[in-house]
Amino acid sequence: MEMIHIIFLIFLGGAVLTYFAGKVSKVLQDIFFLLSVLVPAYLFFANVGIGKEVTLTLGGIPLVWGVNHFSWLFSLIVLGLGSMAAIYAIGYMKGKERKGYFYFNFILSIMAMMGILLSLDLVSFFIFWEIMTWSSYLMTVYNGHETQRIGIKYFVFSAIGAYAMLMAIVIVHHVAGSFMIGSMINFYPNMSLSLQIWIPILFLMAFGVKAALMPLHVWAPDAYSNSPMAYTSVFSGALSKMGIYGMVIVLVTMINQIPQGFWFREVIAWLGGITAVLGTLWAIKQDDAKKLLAYSSVAQLGYIIVGIAIGTELGMLAGLFLAVMHALFKGTLFMVTGAVEKQTGTTNFTEVTGLIRKMPWTFFAALFSIIALAGIPPLGGFVGKWMLYEALITSNHYLLVIVIFFSSTAAFLYCYKFLFGFFLGQEEKEWAHVKEAPVVMLVPMIIMSVLMFVLGTFPGLILKPINSGLVDLGYIDTFKHLWNTSIIFNAWGDHVVLQPILYYIIAIFVFFALFLTWKGHKTTRYVTTKDISSSGEVPAEDENLTFSVGFMQPFLRAVAPAMRRQIDKYYTGIADGLESLFEFMRRIYTGNGQTYAVYVIVFVVVVLLFKSVLF
Amino acid sequence: MDILGAVVTFLVAFVVGMTYGGLSRKITARVQNRKGPPWYQNFIDAFKLGFKKSAIHHGVMHHLGGAFLMVSSVMTLMIVPVLSHNNWFPNLNFQGDLIFLLYIMTFGPLGMALGAGQTGNPNSAIGVTRGLSQMVGFEIPWVLALVALMIQYHTTSITGLMAAQAHSGTWLMFSSPFAFIAAVMAMLGMFRYSPFDIVGAPTELASGPVSENGGKYLFVMMSSGSVFTFAKLTLYVDLFMGGADNLLILLVKTFALYLIPMLYGMTTPRYRTEQAVRWFWGWPSFFGLLAILQAVIF
Repeated sequence: MEMIHIIFLIFLGGAVLTYFAGKVSKVLQDIFFLLSVLVPAYLFFANVGIGKEVTLTLGGIPLVWGVNHFSWLFSLIVLGLGSMAAIYAIGYMKGKERKGYFYFNFILSIMAMMGILLSLDLVSFFIFWEIMTWSSYLMTVYNGHETQRIGIKYFVFSAIGAYAMLMAIVIVHHVAGSFMIGSMINFYPNMSLSLQIWIPILFLMAFGVKAALMPLHVWAPDAYSNSPMAYTSVFSGALSKMGIYGMVIVLVTMINQIPQGFWFREVIAWLGGITAVLGTLWAIKQDDAKKLLAYSSVAQLGYIIVGIAIGTELGMLAGLFLAVMHALFKGTLFMVTGAVEKQTGTTNFTEVTGLIRKMPWTFFAALFSIIALAGIPPLGGFVGKWMLYEALITSNHYLLVIVIFFSSTAAFLYCYKFLFGFFLGQEEKEWAHVKEAPVVMLVPMIIMSVLMFVLGTFPGLILKPINSGLVDLGYIDTFKHLWNTSIIFNAWGDHVVLQPILYYIIAIFVFFALFLTWKGHKTTRYVTTKDISSSGEVPAEDENLTFSVGFMQPFLRAVAPAMRRQIDKYYTGIADGLESLFEFMRRIYTGNGQTYAVYVIVFVVVVLLFKSVLF
Repeated sequence: MDILGAVVTFLVAFVVGMTYGGLSRKITARVQNRKGPPWYQNFIDAFKLGFKKSAIHHGVMHHLGGAFLMVSSVMTLMIVPVLSHNNWFPNLNFQGDLIFLLYIMTFGPLGMALGAGQTGNPNSAIGVTRGLSQMVGFEIPWVLALVALMIQYHTTSITGLMAAQAHSGTWLMFSSPFAFIAAVMAMLGMFRYSPFDIVGAPTELASGPVSENGGKYLFVMMSSGSVFTFAKLTLYVDLFMGGADNLLILLVKTFALYLIPMLYGMTTPRYRTEQAVRWFWGWPSFFGLLAILQAVIF
């Protein structure tokens, strides 16, 4: 039996076993859950060589699975983040209901994502795509809040995407005579022009839904914020990357082949840019951490899409590097939110304040991920942002670079809102009892923070597999030309040398930190946040002066015109229209036998009357 | 040599920045028909704060806020070439480019914002949100101007742009006038003089993010502000005025630039936050777009 098959069997068996183990013992269930995520992850990286292919024939259709450098890179995201989130989930789900349900869907999601990455034929690709959609749908309705509205919205969009993909697969099979992805790509140049345009559009619809590309993004904020946080970190960090994975393949292997491809890519890049701006603006408006991060995910995916859509070597490197970074920092941030939710019971910025001294390690993880998200050196987010800007400038996208710059500067506003909302501000008696999150939840967050730090100075560690993946897709080798272990270049030869920069930053920071600490350390004392000189008045114990309601109001007033229209409303309009149509249909299909009998009689009479005309 | 050079650069920046701050107070006073403090008043203030015996803080982030701020200002200073053809100030000039500079310049304000947030003083947080909003405002014309320069000379490095000026013999403020106008308008926001003094906002926010800071904390923040002022002015001189060969020329050029936000501020009352943000998206951004157009066409 092949190793790849064993891995999938462990996933599947593990999911079922974990589900039923809950009936026996909670601890056993936790152990089974961890094993069924970590063991396949270990087996995959230790035993599955790149370039391996295995075939399984089911019902006469060969299902071919294999690994190349490109899918290996995404496997790193899925299994890496998946393992971290799994460890975190043990702590997060402690004492929660329906653990079996959660664990089962979690494992299935990871399995489905791996299946998508390893599929070399369209049939298994589609099957795994559906399993992924189903398991994530079941997660969005886990909490049961407004299941109807949120769950259905996600499901309808996923279904539209899936049907588009199914249609494309059927057409491909019809013209190419094979379900293999490779033969589809080889046959693509021989297709008629209309097919050459429609097949990528159909595929991009499916991938655009998962990657939350505007205007297909409306499901994302609700779905991300309503899933359990331990899952959302995978949902936003890894599952959305499946859309990116598919997009890259479609863009590189199909759209680049046709002369109209340029406009295709421009349109997608601009859609990505607009997604980034709108996602950012809406994120600034949110008062709930989950919603804020959900909108921010939409915006960050916009950057990634811009990078891969402009399609130069540097753009691709930037997009994929940002994809890895996004998995790290957004995964961590959702975990932070989950930790705060678990310890305080709320994720609303207007309710909870001043947790920094109660949850210092959580704050540390949040701080690192926020610095990475904002793209500030010396953390990894900067490398991705830098490459993206340079890619845009050197490929003549002058206006798009301004759009992206606006969005990432505006991102500072919600970054600060997140940190301030939870951790800073006045400390309140109400939250005096709050304790640091359990170790099992902290460890994954800290590990990922450290990774972000390392990648900020040695981006080559991850640029190397990205480069191999791109070479697999037909790009030139960019090692030493666009990146080195810790130097990044642009297409004009300008560069940033990351190591001395890191050393300078550390040296300056340590020097002044020591200066501030050492100088007069005996007479420096700590006072509470109630002991402040606010206009000469000292606030009373029960008085909360934290500024948290209407936090970014002046800025939102300045950008109000851009936020007046909401695409969601248009979709709701369409949905209402459809609903009245269905209402009308229901009047015809009353479900009453006598009415149907009348229809039959009328039909027969009509046929008899117009017999001579019809036949 | 490296460390010594860095220290010398820092000291020069500190002294020049402090002096400029003092001169600005003096000039403002003269315009308002007051006598004003002496030009070295800022040194007196800074050292008085620096030698204060006791200090209070509201937690670790507040305690380290100044160090974060210093990272940003000193790193900016290290990246910006202070004098061309001089072996004392190379520092990190060749290790980072303009995009890196834009981002490292935001490191400090964010760290400072965290420190200000931990104090629990509502004025601090309000000031921070205003500051970040204003930053989003002025970054647009500023980046438009920089992108225009980058695409015109096919380089994103500061030294590359300086070399381009040396090569052509014209300053970029003459060969790319629109970029210069946009950048100078963005500079008004960067230096936070009136009408863009919404962050500190005297009589309104009680100095905003720096309230709750005293003694050594305020000393570090003041020094950081001075160093940052010098670094930003030098950057403008490098980008638009061909850099400087010796310290005297640098001082003349930087002070001439420094007068722009200072004098503009004396004639205009403070904006509200949304007015300030929108102001930058009006004419300054229009000039920025013209600059890009010029760069693309010519």
